[in-house]
Amino acid sequence: MLEFIEFGKTWMPFLLEGVGVTLGLWVVAMVLGFCLALLLVWGRVYAAKPIYLFATAYVEVFRGTPMLVQLFFIYLGLPEIGIVLAPFTAAAVAIGLNTAAYQAEYFRGAIQSLPAGQMVAARAMGMSRFQALRDIILPQAGRRVIPQWSNEAIVELKYTSIAYAIGLTELTARAEQVGYQTFQFLEAFTLVAIIYLVLTGIVAQSLDFLERKTRIPGLTYTGGKME
Amino acid sequence: MSDNPILSVRDVRKTYGGVEVLKGVSFDLERGQSKIVIGPSGTGKSTLLRCINLLSPPDSGNVVLDGVTVEERGINQIRAQIGFVFQEFNLFTHLRVLDNVRLAQRNVLGRSKQEATRRAMEELERVGLSDKLEAYPAELSGGQKQRASIARALAMDPKLILFDEPTSALDPELTGEVVQVMKDLANAGMTMLVVSHEMGFARAAADEVIFMEGGVIVEQGPPSTLFTCPEHARTSQFLRMISHEHQEA
Repeated sequence: MLEFIEFGKTWMPFLLEGVGVTLGLWVVAMVLGFCLALLLVWGRVYAAKPIYLFATAYVEVFRGTPMLVQLFFIYLGLPEIGIVLAPFTAAAVAIGLNTAAYQAEYFRGAIQSLPAGQMVAARAMGMSRFQALRDIILPQAGRRVIPQWSNEAIVELKYTSIAYAIGLTELTARAEQVGYQTFQFLEAFTLVAIIYLVLTGIVAQSLDFLERKTRIPGLTYTGGKME
Repeated sequence: MSDNPILSVRDVRKTYGGVEVLKGVSFDLERGQSKIVIGPSGTGKSTLLRCINLLSPPDSGNVVLDGVTVEERGINQIRAQIGFVFQEFNLFTHLRVLDNVRLAQRNVLGRSKQEATRRAMEELERVGLSDKLEAYPAELSGGQKQRASIARALAMDPKLILFDEPTSALDPELTGEVVQVMKDLANAGMTMLVVSHEMGFARAAADEVIFMEGGVIVEQGPPSTLFTCPEHARTSQFLRMISHEHQEA
């Protein structure tokens, strides 16, 4: 145990440098995925047939193929048609495009879980569809989607490790480097697992906090007051 | 009939999935008048209300509100002038009572926050909910929810209010408070078109009763006439049936 602590003291600073890359990649990918997901969910729920079909095809393709294949396609495949991306960019785009499909499905589920009467009431009062979406549907669906979105955020935080496969020196890649330098792979990967666990724990707790802070009776839970 | 009804419905027809739900309905509603529409379920009463504000646009016929034909163009301005009270209340779940009553005043009518708040407070007081401004809909009883949704409609200063079975989703002991609010409104001169089987409201506050069956208006007239000596056998049959139900309940 003491030995492991010594090992940690020695190598933690090196690993933590990888945390910056991992978190940067994750934030860029999640934001890209979020924006894209809003477009996709609009296509899936509200848009005309051709756009609906495109959005549906998008979701099926990106959910139906491995993310690693998508990453190689972008990083190794696209240069053949003249699109060359740096490893960080390629990874951020791949993860972003992939998470967009999942986020869109969670948003769609949240929107469709709302009673139809909410939209009808808004329209009956003279609100435009845009106003009804902005002031009624989004605030409600946004609250309802937090638990699933949190799940997706955690999954993607871990999936940033696939960037290792195209040579990006993020957290997992650094752990492997530590392993080869020390031949203490067990310690190196235990350490990196702990770091991932702390990161995902912080994300989970933060979003859980957000969910509790924005909770509304009758919308995100039923029954009496919950503490 | 005057020359200038606030609402004029002419030969409205609507077909749903091959079934003609409304087979040519025409009537007028005068300013300050309240009419109640009764009839067996599935006879197109709620559809009629939804045709008036184009929530489900009629296949043919037309609706004129205060001299203006109701059509898709400019529908939002027209809807803002027609209050709608739903069977299921449809209060905005994520907004407190005060904000439920303020929202459309702000984003549809463009009122200032102050003005919207003032109107909201007035109407919430009228329906007896001044102490529930900060409550979420889920924290209200059914009767309170419906009163809040009536206040929400009133705060828009509509030319008329459509009520779609406003007491049908309520426990029997809660219908009284909603019916009382509706009676007060009718007596205060609000123009109302009510789909309901609340005979209490019909007798005390309705100027006219419309009996609909099979997608057409069978007969209409003042409650005193229609309830005591209806012209059509179907009307008296229906009235007997619902009065039995009420006695059992």
